[in-house]
Formats: sequence, C-alpha cells, structure tokens
Amino acid sequence: MVIADPIYYIVLPLLTAFLLPLFGKLYKPLIGIIPGFVFLFLAYMSVILMIDIRPDNPIITKIAGWTPPFGINLVFSSFSGFIASLISIMGFLIWAYSYKFKKVGFDDSLKYFILLLLVVTGSIGIVLTGDIFNLFVFLEITGISAYALTALYRGRDGAEAAFKFLLIGAFASSMILLAIILLYTQVGTLNMAEISVRMHEVDLKIKVLIFILFFVGFGIEAEMFPLNGWVPDAYSQAPGPIAAVFAGMVAKAGIYALVRIIYLMFDLEGAFHLLLIMGVITMIIAEVVALRQEALRRMLAYSSIGQMGLIMIAFSFNTEQGVFAAIFLMFNHAIIKSLLFLTTSFLVYNTKTKLISDLDGFGKKMPLVSLLFGLGAFAIVGLPPFSGFWSKLYVLIAAANQHMEVIIALILSVSVVEIIYYFKVISRLYFRKASEEIPIQKPSLNSSIVMIVLGLIIISVGVYPDLITGLIENATTSLLNKDLYIEKILPGLAEIIN
Amino acid sequence: MKKLLIFGLLIFIGVEILDVLSEVPFGEDRMKVSNFYLEKSPEVLKVSNVVTAIVVNFRGFDTLGEVTVLFLAAAGIGSILYRRRSVHTELNPKRTSTEASNIVQAGAKVLFPLIILLGAYIFVHGHLTPGGGFQGGAIIATGFLLMLISYRKFFVKHSGVTWIESIAGIVFVGLGLLGMVYGGTFLENFLPAGELNSLISGGIIGIIYIAVGFKVGAELTGVLDTLLNISQDEE
Repeated sequence: MVIADPIYYIVLPLLTAFLLPLFGKLYKPLIGIIPGFVFLFLAYMSVILMIDIRPDNPIITKIAGWTPPFGINLVFSSFSGFIASLISIMGFLIWAYSYKFKKVGFDDSLKYFILLLLVVTGSIGIVLTGDIFNLFVFLEITGISAYALTALYRGRDGAEAAFKFLLIGAFASSMILLAIILLYTQVGTLNMAEISVRMHEVDLKIKVLIFILFFVGFGIEAEMFPLNGWVPDAYSQAPGPIAAVFAGMVAKAGIYALVRIIYLMFDLEGAFHLLLIMGVITMIIAEVVALRQEALRRMLAYSSIGQMGLIMIAFSFNTEQGVFAAIFLMFNHAIIKSLLFLTTSFLVYNTKTKLISDLDGFGKKMPLVSLLFGLGAFAIVGLPPFSGFWSKLYVLIAAANQHMEVIIALILSVSVVEIIYYFKVISRLYFRKASEEIPIQKPSLNSSIVMIVLGLIIISVGVYPDLITGLIENATTSLLNKDLYIEKILPGLAEIIN
Repeated sequence: MKKLLIFGLLIFIGVEILDVLSEVPFGEDRMKVSNFYLEKSPEVLKVSNVVTAIVVNFRGFDTLGEVTVLFLAAAGIGSILYRRRSVHTELNPKRTSTEASNIVQAGAKVLFPLIILLGAYIFVHGHLTPGGGFQGGAIIATGFLLMLISYRKFFVKHSGVTWIESIAGIVFVGLGLLGMVYGGTFLENFLPAGELNSLISGGIIGIIYIAVGFKVGAELTGVLDTLLNISQDEE
C-alpha cells in the first residue's frame, strides 16, 4: 500500500460520502470539515504524483488484481493526471470557499457536501479511467450529483432547471450506453486501449454511427451547441460555488472524454472537421447570445459555452500546437471562470433582481469582489498580462500555422464581442453612481482568501507562463502519442497492428 | 409544420440507424474477454455464478459506481421532485385516501416476513444461484412497499435507512481497501476462495454482495418512502 495512488481519487471521496451521514450524527460541524481534509489530501497527492510523471511513464493502476483488458484500470498519464490534478485542486478551493454552508439547514448542507464530494469523484473518474464502461458509470455519478446540486435550493426555478438538465443528461447517457453496446458487439472488449487497437476491424458505417452516438452524448456534457440548453438554467439556478464546479469540472470532464475518444479510439479524419464545425458554431452563437443577456449569471454561462467552443476549435487542429493551446485553455477556463462565478455569487447576492443593471456603483460598495471580478473579466477576454492572454495567443498561432485565416478572424471578432459584454458589467461596477444604499453582505474571510488565491494564480501564470507550460507540453505529448498509451497498458499489443 | 419537420427528421435518423444496425452480425464470436471470465470464475475465484463473479470481482469497480449512483438517486430525488415533503405526522392523509381492507392488511402481514426472507436468501446465495445483491435488495424493497400501501400508519425510519446504507457502503469500500493492504490492488480477493458450490466460498465476493443487498434494499425503500410522501398540494 502506497501513500500516493490514483485509486485514492475515487475511493476516498466515496468512502467519505458514505461516512458523512454518520459523522453528522456524531457532531454536526464535522460534515463541513471532513470533506476539506479529503480534498486537501487529494490536492497534495496530485502535487506528489505530478512531480514524477512524464509522458513515457504513466501510472497504470489495476483493480481487483486483473490485468487489462480483463480488469478495469486507471491511467494517470501526463494528460489525464494534469486534468485530474486541476479538478482536485479546484475541488479543494471550492470547498474552502463554501465550507460554512449556512444558507440552508443541516440536512441540506449534509446533502451539499456529499454531492460535492461525489461530483468531484465522478469528474476525476471520467478523466482517469481506462475502461469505456467505467467511464459511463462515472459520467452517471457526475450527472446525477449535478442534477441534485442544481435543485439544492428547492425553488420552482431550480427544480425546473434540474429537471431540464436531468432529461438532457439522461438522453446523453442513453446515447453513450447505446454506443458502448454497439462497440462491444464489434470489438468484444471494453478496455479503451484494446478498442483502439481493434478499431480498424470495425466496418466504417458502424464506426461512424458509434462515433456520432458518442459525440452527441459527450457533447451534451461538454456544452456543445445545440445540446447545451441545460447550461444557462443550471448555472444560474445552482448555488454559487456549484456554478464554478460545473464550469471547472463537469464541462472539463465532458470535453476530456470527447477528446479521449476522438484522439485515442477513432481514426476518423472527419471527426476533427466535425469538432471544428461544432466548435465554431458553439462559440459564435454563445457569444452573441451572451451579449444580449441581462442576468449576470446567465451571461457568464453563455460566455462559458463560448469558451468551450474555443477549446473544441483548438483540439480540432490535431497538431501539437493546437492541443497545447487547448489544454492551456482548459486550465485557464477552469481557473478564471471559477473566479468569475465565485465573485458573481457575492455580487448577485447583494442585488434584488440579479440583473446586470442592478450593479451600479458596486466598485465602491464591494471593492475586493469587484476588483477580482474585473481581473477575471480582463483575463478571460485575453488581455495581457493575465493568463488568458497566453492561451488565446497560442490558439491563434496554432490556427495561423494551419493557414486557417477565417478561424483567426472569427476568434478575434468574437473576442471583441466578449470585451463588449464584460466591459459593460465593469463600467457599471466602477463608473456609475450607486442608486440606493442597501446593506451589503460582506464576503467571509475564507471565501475572500480563495478568490484572492485564484486571482494570484491568474496573474502569476500571466507573468510567468513557464510555471505551467512544461506540464502542458508533457500533457500534449502524452495525448498525441497513442502508441505509447497502448503499449503501456497492453504491453506487446501495439506491435500486432503495426 | 414544426412538428411535422421534427417528425420527419426523427424518421430519417431512425431509418439511418436501423440501416446500420441491420448490418451488425448476430451471435458471432466476440468472446475474447468473456471466455477468460468463464474460465477463471470457477477455477480461481471458486464462484459458480459467473455473472456474480463479473459483477462483483472482475468489474467490481463498476458495481461500486452503480451503488453510488443509486445512493445519489436516493439522496437527490427529494430535491428534484420539488413539492415540499410533508412533515411526518401521525396520519398522513395525502398518502392513501382510504385504509386498505382487512384482507389486504392481514395478507401483507403474513407476506412481509416471507418477502424479506426471500430477498435475504437471494443475496446471500448470490455467488451460487442466479440473482444477487441488486435483485435481493429490490425484493426487500417490494416487501416494504407492500407494507407502505397497506398501512397508513406504517412509516420507514429514516435514520435507520441512513445507517444501513452508510454502513453497507463502508463495508464495500472497506473490503476494497483491505484488498489493497493484503493483495496489492483495490477490491482484490484476499480471503481464501474456499470450495466451489459451498455457501462460504468466493472470498470477499459473497460478503460484498450481502452489503450490496442491504444497501440496495435500504435505498429503494427510502426512494419509495420519499415518493409516497410527496404531498399533492402546492405550498
């Protein structure tokens, strides 16, 4: 038994989720404190594991003692490990932001912490697993905890948003399940590495159908147009920190699964074109709709969809630069969007209507929160010297090397749209007089610290991108080197096809 | 017009999918992984029900996930089906409008222990005969459903349900972790496998299935109770 093993990402939160009701009976405040220790340990373990991981030595964890393809396995590679670490560190920060969850009673906060643990487990499971059916199981865990979190406040709107989310999510699950069944009839295995090896045996027609089913299913989780009807409602109805969970974890796990399937399992040229087209449509429509939003959180939700579109575009280049830019974007989007949602949670809490027009003069009323919101807005738009600048620059460079001038023009014009709607909010915060004096709920100490930490990460990565680029380069190599992945999981099998 | 368009589109998609599906061969041998399971279950694990061996051991990690999904569904159903839950009063008039007849009540009393016994039998013998934790748990929940619809005053104790599902979950994960300590990997079968076809065999497989049975039974009972107690009127 070792101290740091990828299996703990799954097992510890699960165990804690089962234990938490019993801790609650013992001493009530424990339900808020215990998850923190779990998240802290996972974040610490991520750091330990990431130090040693290189593209050529992924950690393969067997389960129940059976070697793949007979048993399920977890793969902690440079790519999956990077995303898993990102999710676990974000999980810790979101716990620290919300551990004094006082707005609801004991039963509901117990539920909140159980669901928070499980949504993190599910997202990390999607990222780490090397087995396609296991991925489906974790997708279900993520999905169901996300639906329940959306409806946590038990309002009419929340229930409606959750129900919409549930219907779309159930549709996604059945698409993916159907795809897995079809795939199994063709290749007779569920191990992703072995599927990749045997994929060339599958008839093209069936392969395309399986791919489309997967694409639709994971597209829903990855907020792809036109499958993203759940996003604005879920983001605006869920408790504040949970919107950050959706942007930072659930959507990231969805796009990870999509990319894993396209890059590892399917050798279809058209897949990349499809991803590019869907990414462009998603980005343009979302950003244009965001411009017209009056509620702040809905605006951020549409902006989040737009960013996911940009990530899809970057992944669709299928070049080293494109993948590098995409992973950098995933990192930035997780950090910056979380900061925006966490600050917005306080801004919106102190308005009556949750509309942007209600935010006049908040720069004076809530200086820290407004400043951090402004920082996040500058960063997500892509202004230097913040981290968002670098990822957007790398996307443009990758597109330029592919000679995709139209894409460059589109990304730049969409950025202008982004600037317009973010600056609209900032100008209200700083350049308008406050209309009336209402008592302001000040952010608590722990949530201020979390928001400041996120802000500092954004600035330091912006000034010193080298802090993170080494890890992202390794992740890129690991994702693009399909043969290495297969070789490490199934030694000797990769040569059979080549 | 819009509906017609959607209908046409659905038919188009359906025809396309059917076209592809009709080409999928049926009954062809793709049993590479499965043959391994068929061979190893009786030999190594000493489990005569191969399905159980696959569910609890080869793919036990998936089962842990599925159990969690059920746990989540039981926890989340109350939130998603809005409409505030009624407080536990002595008599809940919303549940059934009239008391069930004497025949139903007496019959339920006789059947209830038998149903529980059947459920327990099925999950205890999960590694020997068809069925197992999920099936046995579902049978137990039907026993409680029978009591819930026959008696207006029959209530499920929520703290009891919570205790059972928590402890069963902890047993499952705990056995997995013990497998890590004694065997090296999570969920590894570290107990002696015993003799094929005897009740005490299969190492941790039987114990895990019993825990799953308790957990599924408790969770489904909790879900049924939640559904029955959602009041009909708006608040």
